[in-house]
Amino acid sequence: MRVGIVGSGFMGNVHAQAWSKLPVTIAGITSLDRRSAEKLAAEYNAPVYDSFHKLLDHVDVVDICTPTYLHHEMALAAARQKKHIVCEKPLALNAADAREIVDVASQMGVKLLVGHVVRFFPEYAQAKSIVSEGQIGHVAVVRLTRCSFKPARGKPDSWFHDVSKSGGMMLDLMIHDFDYARWVAGEVVSVYARNIGNQFSGAPADYALAILTHANGAITHVEGGWVYPAPMFRTSLEVAGSHGLIEHPAASSAPLAFYLHRTSDDAPAIAVPTSPLAEDPYAVQIRHFYDLLSGRDDQERITAEDGFEAVCIAQAAIESARSGRPVMIESIKQEVVRR
Amino acid sequence: MIRVGIMSFAHLHAEAYVHNLRANPHVELVGFADDDAVRGQQFSSQYSLPFFDTYEELFEQNLDGVVICSENSRHLEMVQMATRHGTHVLCEKPLATTVNDAESMVQACRSAGVILMTAFPMRFSPPLMEVKRFLDADGLGRVYACNSTNQGECPKHHRSWFVDPVLAGGGAVSDHVVHLADVLAWYLDDAVTEVYAVANKILYSGETEVETGGLVMLTYAKGTFATIDCSWSKPPYYPTWGGLALDLIGEKGVITANAFKQVMTVYRHTLQRPVYAYWGSDANQAMIDEFVASIQAKRQPTVTGEDGLRAVRIVEAAYRSIATGQPIQVLA
Repeated sequence: MRVGIVGSGFMGNVHAQAWSKLPVTIAGITSLDRRSAEKLAAEYNAPVYDSFHKLLDHVDVVDICTPTYLHHEMALAAARQKKHIVCEKPLALNAADAREIVDVASQMGVKLLVGHVVRFFPEYAQAKSIVSEGQIGHVAVVRLTRCSFKPARGKPDSWFHDVSKSGGMMLDLMIHDFDYARWVAGEVVSVYARNIGNQFSGAPADYALAILTHANGAITHVEGGWVYPAPMFRTSLEVAGSHGLIEHPAASSAPLAFYLHRTSDDAPAIAVPTSPLAEDPYAVQIRHFYDLLSGRDDQERITAEDGFEAVCIAQAAIESARSGRPVMIESIKQEVVRR
Repeated sequence: MIRVGIMSFAHLHAEAYVHNLRANPHVELVGFADDDAVRGQQFSSQYSLPFFDTYEELFEQNLDGVVICSENSRHLEMVQMATRHGTHVLCEKPLATTVNDAESMVQACRSAGVILMTAFPMRFSPPLMEVKRFLDADGLGRVYACNSTNQGECPKHHRSWFVDPVLAGGGAVSDHVVHLADVLAWYLDDAVTEVYAVANKILYSGETEVETGGLVMLTYAKGTFATIDCSWSKPPYYPTWGGLALDLIGEKGVITANAFKQVMTVYRHTLQRPVYAYWGSDANQAMIDEFVASIQAKRQPTVTGEDGLRAVRIVEAAYRSIATGQPIQVLA
């Protein structure tokens, strides 16, 4: 199996490392940044291609780790060349583009695997199992949090800071929990959200609160933001059901904390607690994708449709925060059909 | 000495207030009255506290103040009795089950020239008071948003009226929105302009007809937005009754605050499940002390009937939002 990595930023590197542990060939790297592409390629003895289209000719699977605004054109091109696709989240900047990718991939008979890695984090996967097994009964109230500092600090030209390229925080960051809420509590009916960006112009970083209603009656609270000082990053999940409760609060499950005297002035004052695992979730995810692609497994933990649905929820949240009204997922989908 | 009586033991907090009132050296806890004679006899002997057969007999004891712990829908009639006798009032939350009743209570006390204080103990929680001081010193800058929770177990296991839609006014929304609505009013000093709420009945389904899960979003005039999780999402065997916590997002950073974090975990062979034993300061004590001090000083207490009324307006708007599925505009 020949895998081509598109994009040599943070995700390109993480994915490449995961692929390198599997019986595949990293058959090429391509990136808009030639220097970082060469650096990554050198680590894995892979060739560098100076265009995405040239890379496509030499791979069976393309792994799209580029900024979100490039996902749509690249995924369509890969599908039309009958290449299987691994694509980082969000699948696309908007629901219509995501729908098109899913449909074309399906028409061309290629697999489309969307990188919603939170489904592969052990605590999130375990909570989902506990719910699926009925241990806490019917899901009633879900709370999900994902807050960190603004990415790409000191890189004012980064695509993260360009909403037309990243979709903004509500798409880029909150989509993890929009997908997870749907996975754990079922289809989403409506979204009502507010965010700093729409309430306060000129604020340096975004933060939002969203209230989701689900078809089965469950309700979910999603919090996301880039408002913490670096290097803070906190996530939490809570699922209350008719027969019990799962709590996983922020910052309480890190097994290690290091309190070391500073040996130099530029050593960080606060050490970030670490949570070591035998296999990191990105590796678990890529390995699962490999099993699906190679036919070792046919039980998808995440489907192409899931990737589309997550973008729908994010788009509903973004529209709600702009309009001040709750947005029905059905109206997002009808809008997609009309296009 | 400030002579105080308790009106009804319907609310479980009445039991804590017996202790708090007796702990205040300026208070003479005269006794209580309760429509439920059996309950009255029980608590009278349990607390060695004089029980009066009627509220009239209680008021004949020349009270300076009463603490109203009846069912929520009966707060109005209790206040009307108190105002007839010129007695100052501390009333349990929510102040009333309707805005009309809450307005009547505020008006009645104003006309009678008596104090009306709403039982919002979180104003007396030292951690939350420290946050207030920090905000007043502009420590956070402009407050953009707040994510807050006031979750608990369903209180029907303590008193069945808590899940009676008439006596309580509703379920989790009636029970657990007001504390945070008041804390936010205190912190932000701004008016709520919009309320959006959703609720469901999955938790404790089959055991009650009222809503047991709820999420509310408040939007304020200056743009701040806040969510309140008022769900009865802690099971009855949870290590404590519930909690109250909030995250404030502002220009200068983030504050996370938890009013009930000062606990230790205790394991007892006699119980065989862990419990969180709270060792923080008793906010109820400080609240009772403020009621007494305001009577002595003949001044308004730091949290008033108007504060209680404001919170009831928000609850009423939340129920309208739940019914319509739409955000409700609130006039300041």
